[in-house]
Amino acid sequence: MIFDFALIADSIPKMLAGFWMTFELWFLSAVLGLALAIILLLMRISGRWYLYAPAMAYIYIFRGTPILVQIFIIYHGFPQLEFIRESIFWPILREPYGCAILALTLNTGAYVSEILRGGVLGVDRGLKEAGAALGLSSTHRFIYITSPIAIRLALPAYSNDIISLMKSTALASTITLLDMMGIARTIVAETYAPYEIFLSLGVIYLILTWIIQKSIGLIEKRMSRHVRSEA
Amino acid sequence: MEALNGWWDDFFWGSVVVADVFVVALILTVLFGLTGAAAKLSKNRVAQSIANGYTIIFRGTPEILVLLLFYFGSAITLTAIAQISNPEIKYVDIPPFWAGSIAIALIVGSYATETFRGAFLGVEPGQIEAARALGLSNFKTFIYVRIPAMWRLALPPFGNHMLSLIKDTALISIIGLEETLFVAEQAIATTGKPFTMFIVVGAIYLGFSTIITLSVVVLEKYANQHLKIAR
Amino acid sequence: MKMIKICLVALSLIVAGVCTASAETLRVGMECTYAPFNFKSADGKLMGYDVDVAKAVGGLIGADLEFVCQKWDGMIPALLANKFDLVIASMSITDKRLKKMDFSDTYRISVGRLVGRKNSGWKLFDSYDKPISANFAGLKVGLERATTYADWFENELPEATVVLYDSNEALYLDLVNGRTDMIMTNPMKAHLRFLSKKDGAGFEFVSPQIDEKKYFGIGVGIGLRKGNDELKARLNEALKTLTDAGWLEKYALQYFPFAIH
Repeated sequence: MIFDFALIADSIPKMLAGFWMTFELWFLSAVLGLALAIILLLMRISGRWYLYAPAMAYIYIFRGTPILVQIFIIYHGFPQLEFIRESIFWPILREPYGCAILALTLNTGAYVSEILRGGVLGVDRGLKEAGAALGLSSTHRFIYITSPIAIRLALPAYSNDIISLMKSTALASTITLLDMMGIARTIVAETYAPYEIFLSLGVIYLILTWIIQKSIGLIEKRMSRHVRSEA
Repeated sequence: MEALNGWWDDFFWGSVVVADVFVVALILTVLFGLTGAAAKLSKNRVAQSIANGYTIIFRGTPEILVLLLFYFGSAITLTAIAQISNPEIKYVDIPPFWAGSIAIALIVGSYATETFRGAFLGVEPGQIEAARALGLSNFKTFIYVRIPAMWRLALPPFGNHMLSLIKDTALISIIGLEETLFVAEQAIATTGKPFTMFIVVGAIYLGFSTIITLSVVVLEKYANQHLKIAR
Repeated sequence: MKMIKICLVALSLIVAGVCTASAETLRVGMECTYAPFNFKSADGKLMGYDVDVAKAVGGLIGADLEFVCQKWDGMIPALLANKFDLVIASMSITDKRLKKMDFSDTYRISVGRLVGRKNSGWKLFDSYDKPISANFAGLKVGLERATTYADWFENELPEATVVLYDSNEALYLDLVNGRTDMIMTNPMKAHLRFLSKKDGAGFEFVSPQIDEKKYFGIGVGIGLRKGNDELKARLNEALKTLTDAGWLEKYALQYFPFAIH
């Protein structure tokens, strides 16, 4: 099994041309997903049944079904419904780009909201009580006491999730988007050389996820600098 | 809805395939996870580096890429190996079921390695010392003392790993496994109703996730029953 | 040690037991979602023109057939990776493909045609049936990855915006919901699966039949790996028998109102 290095050298720039698409898919979904997650979190911990019940149902559905199925339902399935084709959202849902961002956002939003909730639950009750004793309102307590600590606690799990998000962007290649994975599959289809192409693509993804992991690690270190480390 | 007539039994058999893959992949995941965790915790430098390499590679690469590589690589690699001993063999291949199960087990196994490693570190040293005092060998301590104690700690995150497994099954349709998503694609080719078919697939997977989540709740109760009084 | 032994035995059983080659079982790769050439009906049976031809050829050369479903863009890589032995999936014989694999003689003609919305008012082809590249600018064309149609577009009409799909069915879905302006595919399939049905009502062929040999080859054949000349000879003999005895026409007439070889 000889490796066609010339082919690899030729294909890597082509695959890297898809980097922006991959990055945009990842970044936009991460930001929008985070916003969605915060909304879901607030609904979830609100204590009011008409808020937390829909939030729980949403999280249950989006964490309980495969992301590939969610992508297919949005991209292939929605156009089957008349009211979607005639709604104002159609220009977004028409484009595979819009569908991919929507699917990734809805999916990561569900996961991140649970991660944030884990962080919030991990905040020591004593701190919240101290805040109440000092006369802070519950909103103030949430913003100034709970959130900073919750964020720090949630960071490891959050870093796992956005790395997963980066890997899920590769699924956008199944709905015609030419991200790095899409370009790779096209090259494989034309050159019939799956190993060289897919292995080099794997290395590229490894480098990307490594960068993300190290960056979050740095943020974590900075946020924990006041915590005494275990000997 | 009439479009589904005639396809219900196909979806049923597809679900059976999903369940089969899940069981096989689950067993392999536990195997890979325990082996990886043991390697990481051992004093052996070589084992540690291999295990580290394993987790880095399989946590950092998109699942779809791993599946495609396994699919294309399996026949050629295995045939080459088999032909060393018997050149008459025309081909040795593993069907998508095994290629897919092993691939997703390796992926989730890399996450499980970290989970098990953390859980092993959480076993009270006192228990290990007691086992030593009783004269149990290293291996026996591992099986009879460490694993049961660690299992209780590992169960909640491992429940998430099981959910990942069942959802990754949908990806194996890309390499030809005839599970529910694959059935849906064929149904769409003849009926032209993507939304209906994909929603059915989503519902099937949601059903599986629910069963798994409920099972984890039951298992957690069972694992913690000896602590009930102490709480 | 006992555990390790058990694991090794289990592993070798899995590998060896599942599928080692026996006396003449040929694995056939096909898309399985390409009605009416190869597709699965609601009762789970594999049907279609390609399937009929495959079974007939298999019977004539005395081999058992095992069908493997494979996504189109991985078809040739999978053949080369030894996932199956034959490709009977309406694959056109082209020079580009002949560099990496072998083909039997043809069992079907191979042409392409563009399908688009009725009354779009495009003037895409001149009186010599040659495409006018400028008029394609800004139009979105849906094509299946790794097809001869994709090749033709890439080389002849680089100005058109090409959208690549990994399945045939998605082409029609997206044409109907307006994500693409036109698609290029096999006209027989387009007619049967789409134009003659309800969802194809507002669409028609917007091009003449395109059969440039350079891209579409001389027709569709059975694909196999290089170096299997003996198998190739047997396949060709079987195909000749089928053609002479009128079987190919019989299979075609089951699905189409005309013969297609």
